[in-house]
Amino acid sequence: MALTRRNLLKWGTAVTAASLPGLRHIAFAGEERSGNHCLVVVFLRGGCDGLSLLAPTDDPNYVADRAPELRVQTSGPKPGRALRQNFAPQIDFRLHPEAAPLGELYDAGHLALVHAAGLQNGTRSHFVAQDLMERGLADSPGFKETGDGWVTRFLLATPSTLPAIATTNAIPAALAFHGDSLAIPDLRGGLALPGGAQPKEVLAALYAGTNDPFSLAARTTLHDMEMIDARLPHGADGKILAYQAEQNAVYEETETGRSLQTVARLLKMDIGLSIACVDVDGWDHHENMGGRFANLAGQFARGLSAFWNDTARYHDRLTVVVMTEFGRRLRTNKSNGTDHGHGGVMMVLGGQINGGVIYGRWPGLASAELDNGVDLSVTTDYRSVLSEVLSARFAGASALPRIFPNFSAGPRLGIVRT
Amino acid sequence: MPIPVETLVLGRLAFGASAEDRAQFLILGANRWIDEQLMPPDGDDPAMLARLDAVRLRVKYNSSDTYPAMDELRPLSSLTKDIAQLWPLTDGKAPIGGPERQLPRLEVAAATVQRSIHSHWQVREVMVDFWHNHFNVNAAADTAVAVALPAYDRTIRTHALGNFRDFLEAIATSPAMLTYLNNRSSRAGNANENFGRELFELHSLGRDAYLNGLYNRWKDVPGAPKGQPAGYIDQDIYEAARAFTGWTIEDGAGLGGGQTLPATGRFTYVETWHDNYQKRVLATEFDPFQPPLTDGRKVLDLLASHPATARFLCTKLCRRLVADTPPEALVAAATKVWTENRAKPDQIKRVVAFIAKSPAMRDGFGGKVKRPLELVASYARATGINVTVTNGLLNELDGSGQRLFGWAPPTGHPDVMTYWLSSHVLRRRWSLLAGLSENWWATGVFSPTRAFAGPVRAAEAVQLWHEALTGTPPVPETTAAILDGMRLAQDARLNDRPDFEPLTRRMVAYCAMTPSFNLR
Repeated sequence: MALTRRNLLKWGTAVTAASLPGLRHIAFAGEERSGNHCLVVVFLRGGCDGLSLLAPTDDPNYVADRAPELRVQTSGPKPGRALRQNFAPQIDFRLHPEAAPLGELYDAGHLALVHAAGLQNGTRSHFVAQDLMERGLADSPGFKETGDGWVTRFLLATPSTLPAIATTNAIPAALAFHGDSLAIPDLRGGLALPGGAQPKEVLAALYAGTNDPFSLAARTTLHDMEMIDARLPHGADGKILAYQAEQNAVYEETETGRSLQTVARLLKMDIGLSIACVDVDGWDHHENMGGRFANLAGQFARGLSAFWNDTARYHDRLTVVVMTEFGRRLRTNKSNGTDHGHGGVMMVLGGQINGGVIYGRWPGLASAELDNGVDLSVTTDYRSVLSEVLSARFAGASALPRIFPNFSAGPRLGIVRT
Repeated sequence: MPIPVETLVLGRLAFGASAEDRAQFLILGANRWIDEQLMPPDGDDPAMLARLDAVRLRVKYNSSDTYPAMDELRPLSSLTKDIAQLWPLTDGKAPIGGPERQLPRLEVAAATVQRSIHSHWQVREVMVDFWHNHFNVNAAADTAVAVALPAYDRTIRTHALGNFRDFLEAIATSPAMLTYLNNRSSRAGNANENFGRELFELHSLGRDAYLNGLYNRWKDVPGAPKGQPAGYIDQDIYEAARAFTGWTIEDGAGLGGGQTLPATGRFTYVETWHDNYQKRVLATEFDPFQPPLTDGRKVLDLLASHPATARFLCTKLCRRLVADTPPEALVAAATKVWTENRAKPDQIKRVVAFIAKSPAMRDGFGGKVKRPLELVASYARATGINVTVTNGLLNELDGSGQRLFGWAPPTGHPDVMTYWLSSHVLRRRWSLLAGLSENWWATGVFSPTRAFAGPVRAAEAVQLWHEALTGTPPVPETTAAILDGMRLAQDARLNDRPDFEPLTRRMVAYCAMTPSFNLR
């Protein structure tokens, strides 16, 4: 059995390698794999305000509790992007005007929205909520027992070894204890070690015989980085050639743009990429939310739209899920911002989904309908959305109890085509 | 080969061991070395001041309609300035180049690296690094935090070994934190909860004491009927946020009636913004209409004296100083010392001394991976490279995952190895070591051959430098890995080679990429 970083991460907690199932070394080399489905999980960190992203513009409670500059309008210079929907036909749900590119994807049937979705737990802590969601749980006692992430368990449950990547500096908690995942925030400079061939050779030999955590991690890194770097187009000077996006897609110099460009590039290497975890930070808008949300929502919507255009050849085997740890408080604070809330918005983008629909159940915004009297309730568990995507496109329904322990998804939402 | 005690202790209580440190440690013995370290002078000693004076940072930007282009090297100038002197940089309409506005952050980062490498008072530097992460602010995203950072750093240095209750108030009234967690704009009516929430979850009680998933009413929290709740829920956060309304800074904001606050950036309390009505925090009643600052101070009293705070802080201290998963007995004993000395002005120093002198400090190598700052500083210290920090080194450190005073979430940088073993961070470690060896960022020339007394063969050179870095000789496989890759025979005579110096520089960097130099 090959030793991977998964072992070393367990090393500290004294779990023996032999007790871990299905360890295999990541294998890109010489294995041209294609045809598998790829899931991109985008996490909007900080708590994205679902009531600004997909706004119930004419709901009287929404109008009453938010100043005009902190809610989406139906008229004026920047009205929200209207959507056809039967989710709550009596309410004029609109996308934030800066998120209008998402409206195109919605109209084309590629994008599904889920409102009042999230974590069914009372926490309003970023860090508790993110940890629970990345570990596929809903309560803290479960957290103490389950250290690994839901993506890790998904990868263990899938029949073949497929690499996973994160476009962040470090792997997120969803991939905790998965030894073979790679953190690749940017490919534009390549992944070779500076200093030529010699450091590669020395370092490989240096870590060959030892099984401490550092050696294990370094070994995997050297191997996988070299494999990926070899597949990047190099110019005559050895430098990495600029990425050529397809369909005239333009990636902006933003976290969304940089990350999704990295994913697209890896996807097109046809190395069997099965999961990519992408972070988009900065949604914690306690103060001056109006301009800050508009700015970030625009970057995100344009980035996702560019990615979708660029990856047109892969649409049939590509699904993107967008999630956040919670939505935000209905009523604004005195800093022109919103504090931590509860229900939020999830999105599913893909070539094999029933898009152009808002899924879920609208709980309403009257005081008695709010969670704890203050926040949009959660009527769709985030795991219901993930379960549907995973069972239809990846692991099959039988693996779900392992991926999301103590959770029963209930009736299908119908987002994913079967 | 057992790890020498000075490697263990100096790897934990210092930014690694220099040759002089090792010698001094062996003369003094662990306990006397620790005692001496825990009595640092106020501020920098003359040797350190000279090191700070030597730093030059490049300030470079293009011209605009309102200001000329700039490209010059400047000494550090903002470290001792009052915030009022730097506050004009926050005026977005003033003709000031963008890099000027971030310069205070860059200067504090430069001073931090410089002190980590060169300060004699290593335990203090380790603790300052701990507290900057514990009370994290992000100066990279906000000019107001950047200009508040020099004062914030001074606040942390003042209290790093002091009393935790005093420390909490110094942070709660610091312009950097008031801006970063938005309490600056919090007003009666709908208070801004950002600071209150992180004060409970990250600064004091800790997330294990957040019981909102279990209880919806304050009375239901175990212990609450007796006034001693085991933890807190959102109702406590709401009330605490109200208690801190009016704690703000002089940022020129309007007060109504044509009045405005001055624009100095300093802490102030605005009575008319404060929510004066009665409150209940952690099952404790607050009477209405208390004197200025009383409500907030009472919250800080409750937090500083709560058993969950003692436990949370001591767990974090042991995790930083000993291992990712510190021994439970050590955490429990440190918690007791913390609690017993709650009222002492040197409470934190006593806890650090206890942890530092515990048997666990001399036991169990490899429970932590050095963070990039530790890697850089310990490499500079062990090699004796005469490093003076530059923009280039700071940029590389930023890219390594440890962005000093630029970490966005209020958690501070992660303190467990999973984060620091990611493929991205690992790759950057190699660059940091090779770059310091080969002077990629003009930080100082490395002359490693000076360490050789006379003619030296390749295997001897590896052995000498591996010992200088780790305190232990290399195993044969390590020597072979380095020399084979470098195409050097074990007995190759190095002195005669034209590339003697650069070849040895590279060799030393390889010695520092070993697990034994990267773990601690």
